[in-house]
Amino acid sequence: MLSTTPRLALSRQLKNFRRFATATTTPAEQPVKDKSDTRKNVLEYRQIYPEFLPDPKIEFRNPIREKLERSDMIARRANVDIPEFYVGSVLAVTSADRHSPGKLHRFVGICIKREGCGLRANFLLRNVIDHQGVEILYDMYDPTIKGIEVLRLEKRLDNELLYLRDALPEYSTFDSNMEIEILPEGAPVPVNEIKVKLKPRPWLDRWERKNLKGVQDLELPQRFYDRAKELETPWEKYDLMKQYMRTVPEEEQVEIFSEVQTHLHRSGAAQKLKRKRTFVKPTKLA
Amino acid sequence: MFNKSALLRISSLLSQPASKNFHLSSTCNEIRKLARLRVVDNSEIGKRAMAEGKPPRCIHVYNKTEVGLIGDRVLVAIKGEKKKAILVGLKQNQKPKVPKFDSNNIVLIDDSGTPLGTRIHVPIPTILRTILKERTHAKGADYTKLLGIASKFV
Amino acid sequence: MNQAEISKLVSQLRVRVNPRLRKLKSAGGPEARLDKLRKTVTALIKHERIELNYPRADESRMYAERLISDAIRYGDCHRETMEMADFWLIEKQLVHKLFKVLAPRFVNYSTAYTRMYTAPSVYPEVVKRAVLELRGNPYPSLVPDMHNNRNLIHNVLLDEAKKAYRTQKYEEIAAKIDAAEKSVSEEARK
Repeated sequence: MLSTTPRLALSRQLKNFRRFATATTTPAEQPVKDKSDTRKNVLEYRQIYPEFLPDPKIEFRNPIREKLERSDMIARRANVDIPEFYVGSVLAVTSADRHSPGKLHRFVGICIKREGCGLRANFLLRNVIDHQGVEILYDMYDPTIKGIEVLRLEKRLDNELLYLRDALPEYSTFDSNMEIEILPEGAPVPVNEIKVKLKPRPWLDRWERKNLKGVQDLELPQRFYDRAKELETPWEKYDLMKQYMRTVPEEEQVEIFSEVQTHLHRSGAAQKLKRKRTFVKPTKLA
Repeated sequence: MFNKSALLRISSLLSQPASKNFHLSSTCNEIRKLARLRVVDNSEIGKRAMAEGKPPRCIHVYNKTEVGLIGDRVLVAIKGEKKKAILVGLKQNQKPKVPKFDSNNIVLIDDSGTPLGTRIHVPIPTILRTILKERTHAKGADYTKLLGIASKFV
Repeated sequence: MNQAEISKLVSQLRVRVNPRLRKLKSAGGPEARLDKLRKTVTALIKHERIELNYPRADESRMYAERLISDAIRYGDCHRETMEMADFWLIEKQLVHKLFKVLAPRFVNYSTAYTRMYTAPSVYPEVVKRAVLELRGNPYPSLVPDMHNNRNLIHNVLLDEAKKAYRTQKYEEIAAKIDAAEKSVSEEARK
């Protein structure tokens, strides 16, 4: 058993490499895009697929692992549509549930957080069901996920909507039978500029210190704002190197996305076609 | 010494009923001894305790770490009585695909595992199916009865 | 494990980036640290060559590189870059120098925009010193110009080649003179 597993893993990797090798030969048929074009695409791709960028921390970098992870991610994307979505979009995730065999579990909710890179990318969905707030964290490349639907594609004013936990429940209540809202072709992703009203304190976090844009006036005594002002770090936005170390330089981004571009483009086209996939029953090996 | 608005505020606080959510201690995201819980079934005692604003407190967790996790059995002090209950939803962060709730929910049970109420009015996690089945032994208490009165699974 | 920030695009630095930023022993916290670095970066842009302690030179080198690369990338019409230049350059006339002199100077460079040398320290002092300079500065070079040192191998080889060439030429000339003399003597005999 022990001896077979590494061999299996190796053969899978080799298969991935082969897939890459065939993919790199295909663009020769198509007109080769010039360098400025890929550069322009990077601007779009990094918004839609931020998890393809590696962790910016230098101590966590490992080019070989990153490359293998990217090929695994693309292999997963060939099997399931992982659509474009942002924090603030309303998603429906259908997944196989180990605890109720034979049934598919569907959860609808607003995406309040997106985190992680590579195969560890995940997102947090929140909904209020029967007056009870429920949140579920999904790994994006989890093999038990059968499908991710974007019911409402939009962005919010903040990068994290964790304050919805302290907001009135109507702001995070979504009908589980919600229908897909279709955007006009070629329209930019709309930004929902809704201002959320929070419940009175106590809160889970000190929201007055977080510089939130998507909340109404917090109605706190002045001392809270004074303290928040004391703890502000206005110099941090001038720290050029901190900024640099939190992001991945453009040259690397171009390299990464030009590597995976053809695959992403193909899966994106497949998403638009919405063709039905036939299910092949796995045959039992002797 | 007090100005008028402060006096007003204090008087308004004093006049508020005890059911107002007013606690000096911060809420504990972990279920330990003296953690306040929320009864989510329709048992008489549970309903009354929640309506009066005196939520039950955990006074013992039946496991070895003394920190209650999902599906664990706890002993609670509710309206001057000791009752057993099962944790059916937690505030603390969970593993992927396990739901995390906005409150720490319990369902009251008796010694044989039969729930005191007849209905649970909030969704409960499907992982309880596996956990409660594992905890149930042929001759001991049957905790899976709880799953029968659930209205919704997430 | 975090996601990389995607709100801003930056160019890759051509110098080595330390995995951790230095604190530089600033009593006033991170704000004072930036103030220290600001002074150094301003001095570097102004004088183009400065001598200072090594850790501070290494740290401010990264900041200077970032400032110049942003200036080249976004130009002086980009509001954020302008704010950044305004913060980092204490003497405001240097903002013009950054965008009008340094950015055009470095735009076609494929190497780093600054150069750093370790400087000697006088004996009782043990502090490591460094010299930080902008490339393309008007001062004479700090490293001695070695290209006409006699003992360098290519110079030795060139010398030998010259010598060989010269002896060959002399031989040719001698042969020519010999031939001329011979013909003159033959004519006289006739």
